[in-house]
Amino acid sequence: MTEKRIPHTDLDGLLGRLRERGAVYAPARDDAGDVALTQAPLDDPMVLEYRNFRLSPKAFFLPQSQTLLTFCDGEAHEPSLPDGETFLVGVRPCDAKALLALDKVFLDGDPPDPYYARLRETTTVIALACTRPMSSCFCTSVGGGPGDGAGADVLAVGLEADLLLRAQTPKGEELLSSVADLLADATDDAVKEAEKRVGAAESLIAPVEVDNSAQRLRDGYDSPCWETASQTCLGCGTCSFLCPTCHCFDITDELRGTRGRRVRTWDCCAYPLFTLHGSGHNPRPSPKERWRQRIMHKFRYAVENLDRLFCVGCGRCIRNCPASMDLRTVLRELGA
Amino acid sequence: MTPSHEIEARLRETAEELLREKRVDLFLGYEKATLPFRTTPLFLTSPEEVERLAWNPFCTTNLAVYLPRLFKAPASAREAERAPPLPTVAVVLKGCDARSAIALVQERQVPREKLVLVGVACPGMVDVRKAERALGEHEALGAGEDALGNIHVVVEDGREVTLPREEIVADACLECRAPTPSLPDVLVGEPVEGKDPDGARRQTDEFASKTLDDRWAHLQDELSKCIRCNACRQACPMCYCKECLLDQTRPRWVGTSTDMSDVTIYHLVRAFHMAGRCTECGACARACSMGIDTRLLTRKLGQEVEDLYGYRSGESADVLPALSAFDMDDAQDFLTEP
Repeated sequence: MTEKRIPHTDLDGLLGRLRERGAVYAPARDDAGDVALTQAPLDDPMVLEYRNFRLSPKAFFLPQSQTLLTFCDGEAHEPSLPDGETFLVGVRPCDAKALLALDKVFLDGDPPDPYYARLRETTTVIALACTRPMSSCFCTSVGGGPGDGAGADVLAVGLEADLLLRAQTPKGEELLSSVADLLADATDDAVKEAEKRVGAAESLIAPVEVDNSAQRLRDGYDSPCWETASQTCLGCGTCSFLCPTCHCFDITDELRGTRGRRVRTWDCCAYPLFTLHGSGHNPRPSPKERWRQRIMHKFRYAVENLDRLFCVGCGRCIRNCPASMDLRTVLRELGA
Repeated sequence: MTPSHEIEARLRETAEELLREKRVDLFLGYEKATLPFRTTPLFLTSPEEVERLAWNPFCTTNLAVYLPRLFKAPASAREAERAPPLPTVAVVLKGCDARSAIALVQERQVPREKLVLVGVACPGMVDVRKAERALGEHEALGAGEDALGNIHVVVEDGREVTLPREEIVADACLECRAPTPSLPDVLVGEPVEGKDPDGARRQTDEFASKTLDDRWAHLQDELSKCIRCNACRQACPMCYCKECLLDQTRPRWVGTSTDMSDVTIYHLVRAFHMAGRCTECGACARACSMGIDTRLLTRKLGQEVEDLYGYRSGESADVLPALSAFDMDDAQDFLTEP
């Protein structure tokens, strides 16, 4: 595993080199004052101080609307898949880890999803370790951590004067060697400083008990808590659409005469339409069943079927719920 | 302005009395949420639990949104036979929320006799996003209110910060035309006057003074942030249709993609259906995680209805809504010859 460092002052140079290879998205402040992954103009310095982006980076791999094929007079045409490189710089470790969950769904199947696979292949993720977790963060309870590089190709840790860069994958190794002239070797002091900073961030994160969640949720399937918890759910899709691991989608044909396209769009289990049968029957008729499904999917079914929790503890669903619901409360009530 | 803790105490007393005397089956109010600057709706059925009820500057949710689902008509005759009797519900309402509740009564979605409207004179609620922005990179660990009504925040390093209420109150509250609920069964707190009731007109006039191209560019710019999560629709008390046009699939009238054509149609449809019905509570804008100004179009259409028919939604339970009523004297000069 290659470990290097780069002074903050040389970051623009690094981004410049990446721009020669493809599209670069880096943290930048938008008009409203939020830091977002932006295909920023060349003269904007990269922002290093932020908590996390409002939107998870999943749309780079699973676009919210994606044309799967076009058709015309009975002939189908597959769209050409993107082949240019994309670099995502400054993704937080929780969001990078979410990619491993999405990989289980879209790459481990037979056949793998070619659209997702191509975007995953052509995109390089440079994660930036978290130094300032929020009160809604609980990554450490779901197998992650502020300095966890899993899912990223390179993990960067911000130090006083440098960024420590750690390759996580062969793609990351290749990237670091391609810009080797900009990098210095990581010193022991740098490694120690990184450990200290990550440790400090870790200590700020309040734990949530999710051990053995699959079994506990199996036992709690008929618990009255689902009814109570779901009373407040408004049935919007904010939690899933902002969630870095929610990946359910809908496929529709858009027709104009005999021409059209087949398009895949994000969908959400909070919507009644999600499970509405052609007959008019709906197996999840009320918010209770729908809200239970969301929790069951993430903390039980995914564990049983894919051997992985489908929650990375980013807390977006908690911060952004219009009714201020908190899935940690339900997990606690169920002892999950 | 009545201090929040006094209002909270009155709400708890009221809830305790209503539930204990079994005058209501359910008391709908607010409870502290897990994160600062927020509360979560509380569905209270036992008088023993009234201590959970909270009143603070973060009681933003328009609780009227839950009323239609509590009084949902049975889907079939068979279901009607088995349906339990309708509940009696007490609900905590700010000025705007009370307008929504009355509008729902006007539109026959909720039976007035099954409601106990617990109105609270509202000093304006905090906009979470404004508050979090005002803190910059600081993270709030706790937030409360001082004697002057300003917001007292403890941040991550233990320091205390005071945010002036006026600076972080939601736009909808600043521009509220009637913060004190009209027609409540119980009114809690000293009546409050609106701060800038002309703000709404000013905003739409300013928008109307722009060129067509500029107006279109502004709308496209705002709407391009939309992720189609439906939060604006779901948070709105007036969006109660059993089947929304936007959800119909046979045929699918509106695509589900984030292409600008689909996004624009979504928002135009939503706005048009709010004409003369929106009570300007701002729930749609609050619910939007992307910070879209969802209120501009609905507000403009509300003003059109007011100008044409002298009607404002949610001000009287006995009046027919403008778009449900017909009068030979109705304005018709906007109609064009074929």
